[in-house]
Amino acid sequence: MEQKKTKNRSPEASIFYTAGLIFLGIVVAAFIISLFWTPYSPDATDAASKLMAPCLEHPFGTDNFGRDVLSRVMSASKYTLLISGAGVGIALILGTITGVLAGYYGGIIDRGIMLFGNSIMCFPGILLALVAVAVFGPSVGNVIWALGLVFAPTFARVCRVGTMEIKELDYITHARIMGVKPLRIMALHVFPNLTSQLLPATVIGLANMTLFESGMSYLGLGVQPPDASFGKMLSDAQAYIRVAPWLVIFPALMLVFYILGLYFISEGLRVGLTKGGKR
Amino acid sequence: MTRHIHIVKVHHLSLSFPTKKNPNPKPVLDDVDFGIRDGEILGLIGNSGSGKTMTSLAIAGLLPENAEITGGSIKFAGNDLLALDPKERRAMLGRDIGMIFQEPSTALDPLMTVGKQLEEILTAHKDPSMTSEMRQKTITDMLELVGFTNAVEILGRYPHQLSGGQRQRVLIAGAALLKPRLLICDEPTSSLDTVTTVSILELLKDLCHKLHMTILFISHDLSAVRGFCDRVMVMKDGKIVDKDVASEILTNPKNSYTAELLTNARLDTRILGLEPATVDYSTSPVLTAKGITAGYGRSLFERVKKKAEKKDTNILHDVSLDVYPNEILGLIGGSGSGKTTLIRTLLGLLPHEGSVKIKSSSIGAIFQDPVSCLNPSHNIKWHMSEALRASGKAAKGTDTMARITAVLEECGLSAEFLSRRPDELSGGQRQRIAIAMCLIQKPALIIADEPFSSLDASSSAELLKLMTDINREHHTAFLLITHNIHIVRQICPRLIVMHDGRICEEGTTTDVLNNPKSESTAALLEAERQIHGI
Amino acid sequence: MKSKSGYIIGKIIELILTLLVVSLLVFIAFSVIPGDAARVMLGPNASDSQVELLRAELGLDKPLVSRYFSWLLGIFTFNPGVSYSYSIDVSELIAQRLPVTLGTSAIAMIMVIIVSYPLAILSARKPGRLGDQICSVIGHVLFAIPPYVASLLLILLASSVFSLLTVGNYVKPSDDFFGYIGCLLLPSFAIALPKIAMSFKFLRSSIIEQQSSDYVRTSKSHGLSDFKILIRHVLPNSNVSSITIISIIMSDILGGSLIVEQVFNLPGLGRLLLSAVQGRDFPLLSGIVFYIAFITVILYFISDIASSFADPRIRLK
Repeated sequence: MEQKKTKNRSPEASIFYTAGLIFLGIVVAAFIISLFWTPYSPDATDAASKLMAPCLEHPFGTDNFGRDVLSRVMSASKYTLLISGAGVGIALILGTITGVLAGYYGGIIDRGIMLFGNSIMCFPGILLALVAVAVFGPSVGNVIWALGLVFAPTFARVCRVGTMEIKELDYITHARIMGVKPLRIMALHVFPNLTSQLLPATVIGLANMTLFESGMSYLGLGVQPPDASFGKMLSDAQAYIRVAPWLVIFPALMLVFYILGLYFISEGLRVGLTKGGKR
Repeated sequence: MTRHIHIVKVHHLSLSFPTKKNPNPKPVLDDVDFGIRDGEILGLIGNSGSGKTMTSLAIAGLLPENAEITGGSIKFAGNDLLALDPKERRAMLGRDIGMIFQEPSTALDPLMTVGKQLEEILTAHKDPSMTSEMRQKTITDMLELVGFTNAVEILGRYPHQLSGGQRQRVLIAGAALLKPRLLICDEPTSSLDTVTTVSILELLKDLCHKLHMTILFISHDLSAVRGFCDRVMVMKDGKIVDKDVASEILTNPKNSYTAELLTNARLDTRILGLEPATVDYSTSPVLTAKGITAGYGRSLFERVKKKAEKKDTNILHDVSLDVYPNEILGLIGGSGSGKTTLIRTLLGLLPHEGSVKIKSSSIGAIFQDPVSCLNPSHNIKWHMSEALRASGKAAKGTDTMARITAVLEECGLSAEFLSRRPDELSGGQRQRIAIAMCLIQKPALIIADEPFSSLDASSSAELLKLMTDINREHHTAFLLITHNIHIVRQICPRLIVMHDGRICEEGTTTDVLNNPKSESTAALLEAERQIHGI
Repeated sequence: MKSKSGYIIGKIIELILTLLVVSLLVFIAFSVIPGDAARVMLGPNASDSQVELLRAELGLDKPLVSRYFSWLLGIFTFNPGVSYSYSIDVSELIAQRLPVTLGTSAIAMIMVIIVSYPLAILSARKPGRLGDQICSVIGHVLFAIPPYVASLLLILLASSVFSLLTVGNYVKPSDDFFGYIGCLLLPSFAIALPKIAMSFKFLRSSIIEQQSSDYVRTSKSHGLSDFKILIRHVLPNSNVSSITIISIIMSDILGGSLIVEQVFNLPGLGRLLLSAVQGRDFPLLSGIVFYIAFITVILYFISDIASSFADPRIRLK
């Protein structure tokens, strides 16, 4: 029991990891390549080749301005990765600090923080993000801040519950008896033990944030033209859905690949961590 | 119903869990062959993984779906069980074979009242002549038989409103409701405290006579069957290795494995040569507690609420005690006596009334659970330096390391442990790290709360030796909470007994143990004597 | 013993507190907006005096606290003011659009429950079998499709395979109730798809967990049939935990319908919200946001009360 706990992943977990990394890899590869090279300039219009079906020159076809869909899809991945990454970062920092404080101290601090967090969670997330962007104007920075705030309570909950459990364990009691200061206990004794719960939550957070961001961009309140984003591309494509379905299919596929990849990885983490923890 | 007629006959039974990858795995049960005589209490002893639970599930017909019986047969009152179809076997459960399990806290559906859950048994085994009133009568009668004086009230209770012992009684009532001929008890007392255990065992014995039941009693603890079972079988790796009359097995084991189990079951301190330091009671105490009254839920809001409900939530009532330098003070008491609350109060973790005075600033503690005593995210070096740092006695660089390794060495751990993580250590090693962390802070007193209860005999002996060594060499006082009377007798000059949040007895260990003055002490000692055989 | 009514009173106090914080959040959000609402309404060419006049008319010149309380009073009496851009009462505008959003959400919720429950029960009966694995894989994929992408794919499917071209003609419930239901079916389905997957996944694992619990073993040892154990023990216990998930799904569905309405061109709250955002119509915007949050708070409240009825451990401490 003691020696065996080296990283022996269950086969179920490794299937999830592999599938997740493949799907995620496609999107990340598209992003990295787009930094150096895209087949065409993503914004270059070409009146001669409007709404071309996928062919050798344009593997994903062209849109109503004659722009190459493959190039646009590649450059759109940038905003998806940027916004979800930065937004989750903000949510993680805010949520962890408030959640650990609430869980460790309990009482009135806990009640206050949770009342505020629960109130935020009473708005369907997308609504709050939309309002924030409506008030402060649509820009990538505002979208990131808005989504970061909307997602913070989720992480706060995870940290609060985890902290409340860990707080009762003997090693925290030891630390308190030894006279370690509360802030040090929270940062060095409690927080490292939260990572196994925070990691899947972070991955799921990335996926959910992408859902919101693309939805906002679809409504025209996220990434602003002329920059390409999956949501905006889909909303532009809707008018041509019958004549040029490829305009819908390729951005949709990339978007779903990214989210699916993240879900699979989080599932792998969940399966791996719970099985490992129980043994 | 004459004696020596087998009610169950297990005939050369073999069982394994074949998978696609491994169609012929090592058998879980290997040629198991025994009979259960009508009316007897048969003990089945073995460590986890020995196959004792699988044997009982095979008799009951509750094997997991992936289990495969590869040979042999099971006869119940002459009928071949393995030849019956699933429906007939299910009909036998509850009617002919009753079962109770280890964890009474989770074995009842939390959403259903006790009465409804018991009634379900009667409706599942349809007896058309039974009216609703008759069912209620059967259930209340049985609840009274298992020792409830307020049976009608219990019917309307939900499981979470009952204590562990009460739940186990309800489960026994359920298993015995249809008066089955065989009752299988799978570790029914291992999560209960000693006093409750004794009462549950008495109840089972009583039922066995009154209802003419046969009992198959499964346990991992050989000493627990003392005075309860008629015969005992010992299992190891899917085989029955020893089988004899209970008294013979417990006093004069012929099989070497049985003998090993017996020594593991009791921690014999006489062979250790323990030498605790001598105590001078004229010196001033290292810890003085006066008139401590404490309890949980003492926030302002809850106190107002409780006051309105006129409820006394205090767990400790006016507790006073002194611990002298060099002393190992023993503290015993049943579960719920307030031992844990007392230490938490002494350690300054709970708000309380009354005063706690500690001579030196630092006070160390080790707890029962060796798993959660160390932080799984950090290695041993971190633990030690964190303890040193918190004590405010940290020095620079190499000096720190030298101190850490010196303390570890003293606790019987080499420097190579520094880079290990808690999950790479055994329970005994973890407890020793916990002691080392106390020791590095040079405390005048270490409070040890049941430190042996989750360790095996050899680790316990080592830990005990370490504690007395520290006591002798560093003049560190200990407050030792334990239920093990052997240990108390050997190393504690003075003993305190707690009951219902009060100190009910205090004196030299020999006095208290030999002439208990209070009733609760006597009851506690009697229960320990029955279970562990002092 | 804590009584049931005590628990409910505690929850009601929590509900009121939450609603107050929610209202405060909404109000603060719309009070710190950069840009003057009056100036926005009058356009860039208006003179300062005109703007001042309108500010007074809208009550924008009063102190923040008194504005909050008058706004709070208005919003709780369902009279949150007049829309800047439509010049109609906000509550009237919302009442017109509500049937679309609530109808879509309700149909989607029904779809989630009637599809995910039976599938989860069947799947959990024999976990690891082929059928269970197929359901799980499909579930994972559906889970990853955003509702509006699902809508687009459904439209694509409907138009190319079934040559349905009538997607998106809204029928009022007062005109033709079945037509109303009919036009909401496709959008509801699009919202429901990922939530079916979510609910299936949760229910399945919860049922599997309950099936291996100790009290199920006890019931088996009492001779109860598998079906009886499922109905009387497993499902009620898994319901206790799924009530919370269901309420979260409801809130997600409500949020999802705001976007999906846009794809299907339905005149619901989503479209109203969008036009309020574009027109910076703050009375309308704050009204929509608050009432949607209000609905969600009530949903969570109901789910808490429902849990207390389902689980005696919550109501009898």
